[in-house]
Amino acid sequence: MDRKNPRELWEYVLTQVELSISPANFNTWFRNSFIVKIDDEGVVYIGVPSQFFKDWYLKKFHALLLKIVRGISYEFRNIEYLIVKDDRRKVVKESKPVRGVIELPLHEFYINKSDNLNPRYTFDTFIVGSFNALAHTAAQATLQRPGISYNPLFIYGATGRGKTHLIQAIGNQFKKQYPGRKAFYLTSEKFAVDYTDSVQAGTANRFKDKYRQYDLLIMDDVQFLSKKEKTQEELFHLFNALYDTNKQIVFSSDRPPVAIPDITERLKGRLASGMAVDIGEPDTESRMAIIKKKAAAHGIMLSDEVVEYVACSITGSIRELEGMVNTIICHAQVKGSPPDIAEIRQSLRSFMRPQKNVSVKNVVDKVAEFYGIDEESIYEKTRRREVVRPRQVIMYLLREDFNISYPTIGTKLGGRDHTTVIHSCEKIKREVVVDTELAKEIQNIRTLLV
Amino acid sequence: MNISIEKKKFIDAVYKVARFAERKSATLPALSSILIIVSDEGIKMRATNLETGIDLTVEGTRVSDGVVAIPATLLQQIAASLTLDGTVTLEHSGDIVSLSSGMGRSSIKTVPYEDFPSIPFPENPKNSITLPGALLRTLLSSLTSCTSNSTVRPELASIYLSIEGGVLTAVATDSFRLAEKKIPLTNKGTQGKLLIPAKNAVEIAQALPDEDIAVSFDDHHCAFIGSMGTIVSRLTNATYPDYRQIIPKESLAEAVVLRKDFEISLKQTAIFSDIFQKVNIRFDPKKNHISFFAHNTDLGESSETIPAHVNGSMLDLSFNYRYLSAALALSQSESISLSAAGPGRPLIIRGVGDASLLYLVSPMNQ
Repeated sequence: MDRKNPRELWEYVLTQVELSISPANFNTWFRNSFIVKIDDEGVVYIGVPSQFFKDWYLKKFHALLLKIVRGISYEFRNIEYLIVKDDRRKVVKESKPVRGVIELPLHEFYINKSDNLNPRYTFDTFIVGSFNALAHTAAQATLQRPGISYNPLFIYGATGRGKTHLIQAIGNQFKKQYPGRKAFYLTSEKFAVDYTDSVQAGTANRFKDKYRQYDLLIMDDVQFLSKKEKTQEELFHLFNALYDTNKQIVFSSDRPPVAIPDITERLKGRLASGMAVDIGEPDTESRMAIIKKKAAAHGIMLSDEVVEYVACSITGSIRELEGMVNTIICHAQVKGSPPDIAEIRQSLRSFMRPQKNVSVKNVVDKVAEFYGIDEESIYEKTRRREVVRPRQVIMYLLREDFNISYPTIGTKLGGRDHTTVIHSCEKIKREVVVDTELAKEIQNIRTLLV
Repeated sequence: MNISIEKKKFIDAVYKVARFAERKSATLPALSSILIIVSDEGIKMRATNLETGIDLTVEGTRVSDGVVAIPATLLQQIAASLTLDGTVTLEHSGDIVSLSSGMGRSSIKTVPYEDFPSIPFPENPKNSITLPGALLRTLLSSLTSCTSNSTVRPELASIYLSIEGGVLTAVATDSFRLAEKKIPLTNKGTQGKLLIPAKNAVEIAQALPDEDIAVSFDDHHCAFIGSMGTIVSRLTNATYPDYRQIIPKESLAEAVVLRKDFEISLKQTAIFSDIFQKVNIRFDPKKNHISFFAHNTDLGESSETIPAHVNGSMLDLSFNYRYLSAALALSQSESISLSAAGPGRPLIIRGVGDASLLYLVSPMNQ
């Protein structure tokens, strides 16, 4: 403590006084006082708000205060009390450091009623990587000559790859490029509901007219039309009407047109008649670019280390990636500084797929049980067809779901070579794409293993 | 301690004193209590909130002496429930005071009185003036309404009293309008300036009796001493702005109107004032009248014309009507004079034949 510093001295005195008097007394008498100055003679001047205080200090606290300051040093000879000007004892308002508060702006959720398009989805925010370059180029080409270049434009890819973003961006860009022309976005589910409603209300004609007026019609997730025959028929007619008048149509789906089940052949043919492009899985570099862009849009700079970590920890869905970035941003806003790698690890734990520690034996048991074979036969060197397939499935699952190394899998399953394991995994991986029966089996086994 | 007091006097005293007690409960319990002191000097009731304090002498019969502190709100509630005739007896034993009136009897827990602060009465004040309590009371209560509510500038939240050459000048302003009242004094020797916090002035005005009061003061506090006892107040420790500079010396238009006319027309026009409470005043020397006009986009508009004696040139000014009506409360004259210094400059309101008042109000932007 600096004895000559009035503030420090007063703080020390207060801590001592607080111990010897009641809190109510302390709050009443000492809250608004302070040491004004300490002169060369060793006299301490205490500033008080009014005569009431001065009298009471002299009467009640003088001895106590004197004892405390003398306890610090004998240099302090006496204490005097001054009534100070009002503005000098003005309480200094605590100024909270104004954090760069970045609120989630509401307009992110804003959707234009007339065309159903979300203005958030634009080409400016769309990140082009090798995985979606073709789809992006096709979209741009479509916008150059709508209704002529690629009609219909069919974009497909697994969930969370940016299909909706791309097709909405087409809509938003179309509006900008061709003011006066009408664009409309809807999901196939909305289309189906609309149709059923109109049939119920007996206004099917109005329904037809409503959709025929658009210059650009964007329909999301057409795969949901499967098994809805009447709606498909209606879409077929709508398609023809629009196509014949050179109106652009854009579709999206999670699988190629030919692979959409339970859809009439004539519609399937028409969906595939224009351009069908797929959006693949984003590569690591693209994911890093997406994370950076997302974070930058919220005004937060993330270190390369963090970006790389996040990009590597989630593959596939960009939507999940966005969720992760949002979590980081939220953490950063609460804490006021961008988080470091350790904090990221901590906060993103919830996004990680749970690390499953299942013994090989357990997997073998479950699969063997599923296929109704003896589990011992899995470990044997037999090449019976009914055993080979389950064995390959086991290898595939151990590799895909539990990240066990090829040599280990080989050793555990009866001392097989790791190349055998690699071959099996590749084989199943290939087959699962085309063989829906097998895919269904594996899905069922996975639920058993959880 | 054992005393008995006439109920009417007891109620009156409790009401007066309780106002001075601290209303916030978070502080010392002694500060929100009334201290009753019975000694050779008589029966006294004390209360203070460390800004202002009162020491009131109460008439009553003294049986035995003593000191006791009782929560002010409790005493106030008791006083409110008493009937007016008869007497109240207070008897103290241990930490209980038994209060009996007529057939009723209540035991009140007391508060430790050791914490009750001393009220700083000026012992040999440098300066003192004497003036009638009734006058001082109206002066303080009418001027407090013109002070600023904000505590950002403590000097504007105070009433400025300046004693010079046998005249007491009291000023209050909130920087939009200013009221100045002058009162002649009997003792001419005293000089001084004091700033009484408006918050305290309200309490003091309530407690002042009609008879003559001696106001004594030093640099930091002042006391109002009379037969009823003593009231002290902290003084604002700041410099009052030199308000005389803003009073315009010349005038562009002057009007004399009947106070009654002014009051009624202002009231009627004010109904149609907008959210800024704007009322427009036009001085028309040709037609010899002044007219009020207010326009509200939601309600409509209204205009009132009153005959006046107008000199000077045609002039339009807009005011917050509440600042205009406040002037009327300060003067009792039958007619008032308005003198405007020009567009965008303040308007001065005076009572005709009443030199004591000067009320200045700034116009609003057109």
